Amino acid sequence: MNSNIWLLTFADAISIATTLILASLGAMITERSGVINLGVEGMLLMGAVTAFLVGDASGNLWLALLIATLVGVALSTVHAALTVGLRANQIVSGLAMVIFATGLSQFIGKPVEGDPRPVQIEPIDLGGLSGIPFFGPVVFGHDIFTYLTWALVAAASFYIHRTRPGLLLRAAGDAPATVDAQGGSVARIRWVHTIAGGALMAFGGAWYMFARGAAWNQAATTNGIGWIALALVVFASWRPLRAIGGAVLFGFTLQVPFTLQAEQIRILPPTIVAMFPYLVTLAVLVVLSTPRARRLLGAPKMLGQPFVRDER
Amino acid sequence: MIVLGRRVRLEQRLVQPASHAVIVPLVSVLFAVIIGGIFLAMTGHSPLRTYGELLDNGYTSFYGITDTLGLATPLICTGLAAAFAFRMNLYSIGQEGQLYLGMIGGAWAGIALAGALPKMIAVPVVLVFGALAGAAWVAVPAVLRARLGTSEIVSTLLLNYVALNLVNYFIFGSAGYFRDPTTSFPQGRPVAESARLEPFSFFTEKVTNTYPTFLISVLLAIVLFWFMRRSNYGYETAVYADSPNTARYAGMNSAWLQSSVLLISGALAGVGGAMYIVGPAGKVDPGLMQIGLGYAGIVVAALARYNFVAVILAAVLFAGLRTGGNALQASTDPVPIAIAVVLQGAVLLFALGGELFRRNKLTVTRVQAATA
Repeated sequence: MNSNIWLLTFADAISIATTLILASLGAMITERSGVINLGVEGMLLMGAVTAFLVGDASGNLWLALLIATLVGVALSTVHAALTVGLRANQIVSGLAMVIFATGLSQFIGKPVEGDPRPVQIEPIDLGGLSGIPFFGPVVFGHDIFTYLTWALVAAASFYIHRTRPGLLLRAAGDAPATVDAQGGSVARIRWVHTIAGGALMAFGGAWYMFARGAAWNQAATTNGIGWIALALVVFASWRPLRAIGGAVLFGFTLQVPFTLQAEQIRILPPTIVAMFPYLVTLAVLVVLSTPRARRLLGAPKMLGQPFVRDER
Repeated sequence: MIVLGRRVRLEQRLVQPASHAVIVPLVSVLFAVIIGGIFLAMTGHSPLRTYGELLDNGYTSFYGITDTLGLATPLICTGLAAAFAFRMNLYSIGQEGQLYLGMIGGAWAGIALAGALPKMIAVPVVLVFGALAGAAWVAVPAVLRARLGTSEIVSTLLLNYVALNLVNYFIFGSAGYFRDPTTSFPQGRPVAESARLEPFSFFTEKVTNTYPTFLISVLLAIVLFWFMRRSNYGYETAVYADSPNTARYAGMNSAWLQSSVLLISGALAGVGGAMYIVGPAGKVDPGLMQIGLGYAGIVVAALARYNFVAVILAAVLFAGLRTGGNALQASTDPVPIAIAVVLQGAVLLFALGGELFRRNKLTVTRVQAATA
C-alpha cells in the first residue's frame, strides 16, 4: 500500500474539517444562546449554490463568498424571526429550513448542475514549512481560509469564555431569566448569535464549493456534512477548541471511503464503506450519551426553550 | 413594540378559535405560493402559467389526480409516522430511511414468502414485513432515546444516509438477493405476482397509478385518529407530551412510551415503503429515493398540526405539488421539479409563523402623543 495516499488522506481530512469546523462553530454559538438551528445542512447547500452562481457570473471569489454569507444571514434571520420573534418550535423551524433550502438550492442551481466550479480556492505557499516531512503536506498544505478558520476557533473560544458578551451569551442559553433580570435582552442575544451562526454555516458551504467540490451537484455536494456538524457540536461539548479534533476525526471518516476507492482497495463494497461516516458519528453520539459522559458535556440548559418574560 | 407610531402587542388567546385550524394552513399555502411565484418570476418562468399547469397536472385532470392519489399513498404513511412521533415531542426525522427499509422488508417477503400464498394473504404479509423492517430501523435510536436520552433527531437522520447506501448496495453493489438475476442491468428482483395489487381504473378503461393501498393509508389514518383519542395509550402519550413530569408522577413508564412511539412511527413509515412494493414498483427500486417522501412527511405532519385525519388532506395537497411539478419539468418550458420542494419548505415556514396568530391575538393601538 502506498504511504503517500494516506498522507493525502490526512491532509484531506484536515481540509474537510474546515467546513465541519465552520458549520459546527456556527451551530455552537447559535446553541450557546439557547436556540437550536437544525438547518445546518440547508445553510451549507445554499451557501454552496450561491457561491457557485455568483462566482459563475462574476468570476470574483470574494464577491461570491460575501454574497453566500449574506444568504446565510438571510436564512438564519428567518429562523431567528420564527423561533425568537414568534416563539415557534425551533426543531420544526430548523427542519423547514433544511427542506426549503434543499429545494431552493436545487431549483436555482439547476441550470449549472454538473458544471465545474467557476473559481477555486488554491492552497497558499508557506515556503519552507511545506517541505517538512509529514507535517508539510498534512498541516501546511492548505488554503488561507483553513488557517483563518483555526484562528476563528481560537477567537470564538476566547469570546465565549473570556469576554463579557460571551458571558451573556452563555447565560442566555443556560439561564435566560438571569440575563433578563440583569437588564440584558435575551431576544437580542439570541437574534445576533443565530444570525452570526447562519453566516458561518453558509460561508462554510461556500468554501466547500470552491475548495473541495468539483462541480455543483445538489445531492452530492454536502452529502449530510451539515448533520455530522450538528453531532460534532455535541462531540465538542459546545466548546470551540474541542471542535477541531472532532472535525479532523469526522473529516477522516468522510475521506477514507474516497481513498479506498481511489486505491482500488475493495475490502468491502463502496456502498457499504460509504455508510461509515454516519455509523461512526452515530457511535460517537451513543458514547456521549452515557450518563458519565453527559455530566461532563454541559449542554446549554435552556437549549430549544423559547424565553417568555411574563411566564417567568 | 412600537411600529410607525402604533403600539403592536401580542396577547395570548385564552380560547383558540376553531376556524383558525383551517385558516392558518390555507393562508400558509397561499403565502408559500406567492413566494414560489417570486422565485419563478426571477428565473424567467411565468408564475400564472406555471401554477395553472401545476394545478391541471397535479389535481384537476384525470391522470393528474390519480397520479397524485397514488403518490399520496406512501406520503400519508410517512406523514402519519412523523405526526405520531412529533406530537409526543419525539422529533424523529428518520422516515426517509424507514421508508426504504419498509421497501426492502416488503420486497423480501414478496420474493421469499408471497409465491406460496394467495393474494388475500400475500399482500398483508408484505405490508406487515415492511412495517417490521421500518420499526427495526428505528429500534436503535428508540432504545438509545429511552435508555440514554440520546437525541433522536440526529441519530434517526444519520440512519437515513445508511439506509440510502443500503438500497444502493442491494441494487448496484452486489449481485445479491434483491437484484434481478435475469439481467445484468442493475434493477430489483420482481416480487411474486400474488403480492401485487391491480391499480384502480375508476370505472374507465384507463390504467391509473392509484392503488387500493390508498384506501389502506386512509384507513390507517382514521384508525390512528380514533385509537389515540379513545385508548389509554393515546391518553398516556398525550399526558407525556404535555408534561413528562406529570406522566412520571402518575406512574407512566416513560421509557416504554418513548420507545413504543418511535417504533410505531417507524412501522408506519415502513408500511409506506411496502405499499410501494405491492403497488407501483413490485421490486426494490432506487427511484423511491428520488422523491423524498420521508422528509415531505414531516412537512405534511406539521401542516396537519399532527392531526392524523388532516394528514390525509395535507398529503394529497403535497403529492399534487409533486406530480404537477413532474409534469412541469417535462413541459415545453421546463421548470425544475425542485420548485415543489421549495413550496413545501415555504408552506412549513409560514405554517410555523401562523401558529403564533393562533395562540396570540395581535392588537394595534395608536400611541397617544405625549402632551406637554
